[in-house]
Amino acid sequence: MSCKICSRQVKEKGYCNRHLKAYQNIYEKFEMWKKALEVTWMDYLSKISKNSLTGEWAKEVAKQLIEDDRRNVKEK
Amino acid sequence: MRKYTLIIAEKPDAASRIATALDDNGKTIRENSKDVPFFVAKNGDKEIIVASALGHLYTVTGTKKGEWSYPVFNYQWQPRWIVEKSASKIRVWLKVISKLAENATEFVDACDYDIEGSIIGYSILKYACNGKEKTAKRMKYSTLTREELKESFANLLPHLDFDLIEAGLARHEIDWLYGINLSRALTLAAKNSSCRYTTLSTGRVQGPTLKYLETREKNIRVFVPTPFWNITAKISIDDHSFDFEYGKKAIETKTEATNISATCKVREGKIDKIDIKEFQQNPPVPFDLSALQSEAYNFFKYTPIQTSKIAQYLYVNALISYPRTSSQKLPPTIGYDIILKKLCKSTLYQELAQKLLVQGALKPNEGTKVDPAHPAIYPTGDQPDKALDASEKNIYDLIVKRFLAVFGEPVLKQSVKVSVDINQNLFFMTGYRTLKEGWMKYYKPYVHSKDVSLPKLFEGKKVTVENVVLKDNFTKPPLRYNPRSLLKKMEKEKIGTKATRATVIQTLYTRKYLEGVQNMTITDLGFGVAEVLRNYCPDVASSEMTKKLEEKMEQIQLKQDTKQNVLTDAIKVLKTVTSTLKQNQTEIGVQLGQKIKQLQLDRQTVGNCNKCQTGKLVIIRSKKTGKRFIGCTNFFESTCNASFPLPQKGTIKSLSSLCKTCGYPVIKVLISQKYPWNLCLNPNCPVKENKK
Repeated sequence: MSCKICSRQVKEKGYCNRHLKAYQNIYEKFEMWKKALEVTWMDYLSKISKNSLTGEWAKEVAKQLIEDDRRNVKEK
Repeated sequence: MRKYTLIIAEKPDAASRIATALDDNGKTIRENSKDVPFFVAKNGDKEIIVASALGHLYTVTGTKKGEWSYPVFNYQWQPRWIVEKSASKIRVWLKVISKLAENATEFVDACDYDIEGSIIGYSILKYACNGKEKTAKRMKYSTLTREELKESFANLLPHLDFDLIEAGLARHEIDWLYGINLSRALTLAAKNSSCRYTTLSTGRVQGPTLKYLETREKNIRVFVPTPFWNITAKISIDDHSFDFEYGKKAIETKTEATNISATCKVREGKIDKIDIKEFQQNPPVPFDLSALQSEAYNFFKYTPIQTSKIAQYLYVNALISYPRTSSQKLPPTIGYDIILKKLCKSTLYQELAQKLLVQGALKPNEGTKVDPAHPAIYPTGDQPDKALDASEKNIYDLIVKRFLAVFGEPVLKQSVKVSVDINQNLFFMTGYRTLKEGWMKYYKPYVHSKDVSLPKLFEGKKVTVENVVLKDNFTKPPLRYNPRSLLKKMEKEKIGTKATRATVIQTLYTRKYLEGVQNMTITDLGFGVAEVLRNYCPDVASSEMTKKLEEKMEQIQLKQDTKQNVLTDAIKVLKTVTSTLKQNQTEIGVQLGQKIKQLQLDRQTVGNCNKCQTGKLVIIRSKKTGKRFIGCTNFFESTCNASFPLPQKGTIKSLSSLCKTCGYPVIKVLISQKYPWNLCLNPNCPVKENKK
């Protein structure tokens, strides 16, 4: 099975090892963002996906998570 | 029959210098045989011929010729012209040396006194001079000045340094075994999968270096910044403005930061505390090669390999001592005052050198690193025979100034830390003042004092708050390596040698594993190779194994281990690694083949297609006419027929930019002996129309 973002092999949670590490970072850093700016998960994803300091793979995961959420809302 | 002493030097320039220095009249006769120069000198009743190598004349190669497979464990030392097509000149060179050796009564190895120089001299004496390595004597010197060369010739070492040579031979043989087996494994795997030949390489030092770059790049690409805030206050003291920083440099929440900032919106504050300290800054330590490369990159942006080349030129011209040293020591035997007196002859350094000469006892501030063969880098004090170019002048100046600075007195500085209370919030600023310039006066312009002059201050003094600024910030990703930081990392991890590290970095560029100089970025192909190494032979990519091998090679030099033992162990490791690589050849090939195809496509891509908006515009060569043009990748799916003509001569380079007038991709055309020009792909671009 290939990664949700690239064609590499899935390691965990639908991500390859590169995007998995990015996902884990996104997940870990959310607590700090929540404390600092009182943002929601979606606001947070939107902010980091637009931040020029965010790494390329982390941006790809953030955008994919936003996209997933939009799809879920539509389906509901 | 003419009888003489044959001296073998490392390069023709060095041979000429040695002959001139040893000749009683300071003159040498340059002779040629088949365009190979050698130099004749008269030294008392002795005739001397100084012949030279051209760097390494012999190299390690496999015993079976023409076989391109792996694993390979049988090797031999052979003249380079047999192994490398580009080294055909060496065939004649060796013949001339052999001819000169026939009538020589005494042999002296005068190559650079380090591992590489010792191997160059040893292999020539052994193979080209019919086994004279056993009886040859050794010249040891650190500068090519007349005085030192004469002294060295008068006190020849009785034999070659065989321990150093054994360690050097082991290094070359192990590097060859690693390089040939691993590189062939990668290249063959990729070739079998993609049916295209691309040279891929890795090795004992290259593997771990690539891993550092890969790890750093991954950390950058998965990086998620976190917000923080800092507050600065512009404070006026006696009509002078100063920037003060709030005590907590990173405030973690916006609420806290806003609250603090709000309470600081007052016009007045008062000086809370003044903390004055005096401290000393010791002089810098003398340059070893790595420190010189690092400083040269810092000030002039020269890559390590450029600095090495410039330093080598300065050494061959007797302006500096041997540069490939890891020593930070300057022993008194180099003659500090003699060098300083010579430097006094130069208008540039006269004043500074004079100051040190009257200072009294000269004692350099040495570092801890030692090199058994050479001292740290220092200027000889000799004046250049011919004018130096800008980069040579820069490096020479840096070396001279550093040499002078190490003898300077410590710098005495004063730091004044002032805290200001603004409505019970403390803001800080530190100013520095140089009380005694010490060594800094010798090392200008490579050092700055960064002094901030402060007005008269006392605790409780009222100050005016001009403004308070709350600034949003984010944590930053780690910096990409640059030549300086990568070299430092390699040195810290103890991989490679001072002479090889810069070349290893260069190879990573040549193999297209790396791009960018100031911000070294690993390419997809680099990622691919690093991944293969990590998955299938993690030991090869680890610093640990390389470090262990380096230690073992040092042990050979110290007679604590033998070359044979070290080689047997290395081959044992390699047998396991090559067998794993062979078993997984198909998988590795697929992985690398894709990266190579992508790299080739990227190199041919000039931009996105304006017509279909989804394809990429690539350089294509027509099978029918052989002519090149630009076409859309969607042409092969029959969905886009965009195509553009290209000049048939010269090299085309993508500029990754769009025409400001029409938005089509712009390319650069480079034709030899003509100025390169930028070309918009759109034949109907208004700019072109206007020109018509």
